[in-house]
Amino acid sequence: MKRIFRLFGLALATSAIISCTPGGANGNSSSSSKKSAAEKAYVAPGEYDEYYGFLSGGFSGQVYAYGFPSARLLKILPVFSQDPQSGYGYSEETKPMLETSYGFIPWDDLHHPDISQTNGELDGRWVFANANNTPRIARISLTDFETQEIIEIPNSAGNHNSAFVTENTEYVVAGTRFGVPIPQKDMPIKDYKGNFQASTSFISVDQETGAMDLAFQIRLPGFNYDLAHPGRDKSHGWMFFTTYNTEEAHTLLEVNSAERDKDFITAINWKKAEEYIKEGKGKIEKAKYAHNVFDSQTHTATSTMKDEVLVLDPAELPGIVYFIPSAKSPHGVDVDPTGEYIVSNGKLSANVVVHSFSKIKEAIDNENFVDEVYGIPILDFDETLAGIVEQPGIGPLHTEFDERGNAYTTFFISSEIVKWDVKTQEILDRHDVYYSPGHLSIPGGNSRKPDGKYLLSMNKITKDRYLPVGPEMNQPGQLFDISGDKMEMILDFPMIGEPHYASMIHADKIKDKSRKIYRLSSENDHERVVKSSKDVRIERDGKNVHVYMGMIRSHFNPDNIEGIKMGDKVHFHITNMEQDFDIPHGFAVMGANNSELLIVPGQTKTLVWEPQDVGIYPFYCTDFCSALHQEMQGYIRVSPEDSDIELSWSLDDDVHTN
Amino acid sequence: MKKAGILMIIGSALLLGLFFFPLWHIHLIAPQYPEGLGMNIHIYDIEGVEEFDLANIDMLNHYIGMKTIPKAHEMWEFTVFPIVVGGMAAIGIILGFLGFLKKINPKAFLGWLITMGVLGLLGMYDFNQWLLDYGTDLDPNASIRLLDADGNPMTYKPPLIGHVKLLNFDVDSWPHTGAYLMFVGLILVFLAYLIGIKKYKKV
Amino acid sequence: MKKIVLSFALLGLLVGCGNNENKKTTQNSSSEKPKTEQKEEITYDKVDGVAVDMDNKGVGPVDSVEFADEIDQDLAEKGNEVYDVNCLACHKTDKKFIGPAPKGIFERRSPEWVMNMILNPERMVKEDPIAKQLLKEYNGSPMANQGLTEDEARAILEYFRTL
Repeated sequence: MKRIFRLFGLALATSAIISCTPGGANGNSSSSSKKSAAEKAYVAPGEYDEYYGFLSGGFSGQVYAYGFPSARLLKILPVFSQDPQSGYGYSEETKPMLETSYGFIPWDDLHHPDISQTNGELDGRWVFANANNTPRIARISLTDFETQEIIEIPNSAGNHNSAFVTENTEYVVAGTRFGVPIPQKDMPIKDYKGNFQASTSFISVDQETGAMDLAFQIRLPGFNYDLAHPGRDKSHGWMFFTTYNTEEAHTLLEVNSAERDKDFITAINWKKAEEYIKEGKGKIEKAKYAHNVFDSQTHTATSTMKDEVLVLDPAELPGIVYFIPSAKSPHGVDVDPTGEYIVSNGKLSANVVVHSFSKIKEAIDNENFVDEVYGIPILDFDETLAGIVEQPGIGPLHTEFDERGNAYTTFFISSEIVKWDVKTQEILDRHDVYYSPGHLSIPGGNSRKPDGKYLLSMNKITKDRYLPVGPEMNQPGQLFDISGDKMEMILDFPMIGEPHYASMIHADKIKDKSRKIYRLSSENDHERVVKSSKDVRIERDGKNVHVYMGMIRSHFNPDNIEGIKMGDKVHFHITNMEQDFDIPHGFAVMGANNSELLIVPGQTKTLVWEPQDVGIYPFYCTDFCSALHQEMQGYIRVSPEDSDIELSWSLDDDVHTN
Repeated sequence: MKKAGILMIIGSALLLGLFFFPLWHIHLIAPQYPEGLGMNIHIYDIEGVEEFDLANIDMLNHYIGMKTIPKAHEMWEFTVFPIVVGGMAAIGIILGFLGFLKKINPKAFLGWLITMGVLGLLGMYDFNQWLLDYGTDLDPNASIRLLDADGNPMTYKPPLIGHVKLLNFDVDSWPHTGAYLMFVGLILVFLAYLIGIKKYKKV
Repeated sequence: MKKIVLSFALLGLLVGCGNNENKKTTQNSSSEKPKTEQKEEITYDKVDGVAVDMDNKGVGPVDSVEFADEIDQDLAEKGNEVYDVNCLACHKTDKKFIGPAPKGIFERRSPEWVMNMILNPERMVKEDPIAKQLLKEYNGSPMANQGLTEDEARAILEYFRTL
C-alpha cells in the first residue's frame, strides 16, 4: 500500500522534474555531432587522450593527472603528502620537500591546481597548487611531472584562495581563509573583531627556472577570503578575491557569518603595489617560513628557512585594495576571457552577480565610494554591476567560460550546471549532475583562450552512482560535451580524494616535452650517484654506512653485503642504470620503517635503514622489470655491534672490501 | 437493523487503524536524495520513513531557518488526537452494538458521522495551520534567505495534499493507510445509517 | 605486470602497424635464415657457445661499419667512458657475466651486428637468430636498450678493438 503511494508520488515528482527543466536535460542534445556519449568519451586502446587534466586530490594532498575525454588516470603526482609508492617524502632526497616552520609535515589538503600562463594562455610549463592547512604553495614541473618547489606562506591561516597565476605567471597569488593575529600571539578568541587580520601573498616566479619567491604581502582586515582569480587582458594587473564573514564572527559561522545580505569582492591592484615597492614603500617584517627546492640535476631537495617578508598596508597606501559589495557568502570569483566580466557566485544567494571591470574602474577613478572599512574604500554595488543572472538555481559555487561567450556555473544545492550568456545573463541550458557539484573545469576555462569542448563537473556527493563500497564513496566526476548548444553528459567516473578544482590543457602543450629518462652522462649530478659499475662501493663513516648501489635488469650491484653491525644506519644510495624509457626498478628491504623507493632510469634515490636485529635481511626489486624480475634480489648481513666482521660487498664472485 | 449495527461496529472500528498506520505521508525528493526523504504523520507522533530521515530533513531545513520537526510531547495534538479517535471509535462501537440490539434510532449513526466529520475537518485545519507555521515562521538569521519571484521572502510550506516544488525539492503530501482505513470506515458508517434507517422506517 | 602489458602492446603495435615495413623485415629475416642454415660448416664460439657468423649483420639501422687500420685512440677512450656508464653493469670486458664479454667480439660477430645489437636490442632478440640463441644462453636476461646514439655505439666498437 505504502509503496503504491510512494510510487505515485515518485511518478508525480518525475513529471515535475521533466516539466521544470527547460530544454529537457535528459533529452537528446541538438549538438552538431551525432556520436553517442560512449563514442565521445571513448579513446581506443593505444590512442592518446586529447587533454591532460590535473585534478586536485583535496584531503589526499596530491594532484592526479588524468587524460580526457576518457578520464583515464595517468599518474598520481605526490605534492603535499608522503607517497610510499614512489618514496616521495620517505627518500632522503625528498624529505626536505615537506619541511615547514613547524617541522616535517607528512600531509596536507590540496585544493586548487592552476597551470602557468603566457599572455593569458595556458603554456604547460608548471602546475601550481596550494596546501590549505599549513599554508604552502607548490610548483610541479610538467616536464618531469614531479613537485620541484614548495614555499611556505607566513602570516596566513587556511591558504584556500590559492594558487592562482596571473596571466604571464608574474605571480602565484595566495590568500587567507582564517583571520588570525599577525604576528601570532596568545589572546582571547572573542577579541577577534578588529584584532585578527589576513594576508594576500604575491609569489613571484622566475620565467626561466620557475623558482618562486615571496615578493610581498598585503595586510587585510580579518574577513575570510574564499577564492580568487586574476584579471586578464583589460583587467590584467588586478586580482579579485571573494570575501565572506565580513561580520568578523569567530564562532558558529554558519549562522553568524551569514547575517548580512551582501559580502565583498576584494579587488587588488597589484601593479599599483609594485609601484609602491619601487618607491621603497612597505615594510620588512620578521616571519619564519620554509622554502624547499628540488634540483632535478642533483635529484635532491634542500630546505632553507627564510626570516622576513615585505608587507604593504592598504590603509596607508591608497589605491591598492577596494571592496566591492557582492552576492552573499560568495565562493568562486571568476573572470571571463575578455577580462571585463567578474562573476561572483554567492553560495547562499539565488542569483549570480556579474560585475563589470570597466564600471569598477570608472567608480574607482571617480572615487565613487559609499563607505570605508579599516581605511579601505567600499564601492557602490549598483555602480559596479553588469547584470544579474536571475534565479538560475540554488547555491552557485563556481563559473568557467568557453570561447563562445558562454558561462557555466555549478549549483551545489540544486545540483545542476547552468549555461548562460555572459553579456545578456540569459539562461541557455541546464543539466542535472549527480550530486552537488563543487567546481567545474573547462580546458583553458580560466584563461584568455578557453577550449570549450569538454566540461568536467566535480561533485561532492556520490550516493547511488556506483556500486556501494561501504560508507565512504569516492566522489563522482561527470564529463560533458559542451561543443553543441545543449550540454551532454558523456561520462561518469569516481575520482580520488576530493577534487576541488582541475586545470585542463591540450595534450600537445605537454606531451612531447615530457621527460623519458635522466641521462646518466649529463643529467645526474647526485653526490652519491653510481655512474658506472666502477663507482659501486660501500663507505663507513662512524655508525653511518653508505652503500653506493647500482641496479639494472635484473640485478643489484652489490647484491651481497656483509659487515653491517647493530646500531648502524645504512644509507642505500641507489642508481637505476637503465637508459631505456619506462624501466623503473623498485627497492625494498625487510623491516625498513619506511617505504620503498621507485627509481626511474638514470635517477638516484636514498633509503635509510636501521636494522633492528642481528640476521640476514633480503632486499628485492618491487617493480616487475623483466622476465628475471623475480631474480632481482640480494642479502644484507647484520652482525652484533662488537663483531669484527669486515665490511664487504659482492656481486657474483667479485668480492670487495675497503 | 442487525446488519446496520454490524456495519457501524466495523466502520468505527476501522478508525483504530490510525493507531497502527500513518494518517499522512510527506515525501521529499531532491537530486542529492534520489531515494527521497519521507515523514509519516501518525495521530500520536511524526516518524521518519527511514531511520534518519527526520534528522536529515531537520539538517537541511536549518539552512533556510525552518524549525525542527516537533517531537510527540511538543504538540498537544499528539496527546489529544489519540483520545478523540479512540473515544469516537469506542462511542461508534457502542452505538453499533446498541443498533444491533435495536435499542437506538439509526439517526444516532448519522449524528456520530457528522461529529466525526467536523472533528476531522478541525483536525485537517489544525494540521494545515501547523504546516503553515512550519513553512513560514523562519529564523531571520538563517544562512540562506531567499526571495520569491515577487521579491518577498520565500516560504516553504509543504502542501496539505498534492505536489509542490520547494527549492531543489519535489514535495508530495498525501493521505496514508490510516487515513484510507478511516475513509472506508466513514463510508461504512454512512451505509449503516442508510440501511438502518430503511429498516427502522419499515418497522 | 605493467611491463608485461606494455610489451604486449608493443608487440601489437609491431604487428598492427607499418605493414609495409613489417613485411619487408619479415622477408629480410627469412631470406637471411636459409643463408645461415645453408652453411656447410658451422663453427661455434668457445666463449659463448653460440654460432659464429661473420656475415650476419643483424637487424637494425646499421648496414656497414668501416674499421680503419689504425685504432682511433681518442674515439676508443670516449667509447670506454660510454661503456663504463651504460654497459659495464652487465658486461665485464674479459669474462662472461650477465651478458657476454666484448673481448675478441670481432672474431665472432660482424661490427654491424654488434652495433645493431647495441642500438636495437628489442628487435634483435626477436628476429636475429644469433641474438635469439644468446638470449637463451644467458638465461633470458634481456639486453637493455640504453638509448645510445650511433656515434656512441661506434665509439664503443672502437674501444672493443683495444681489448
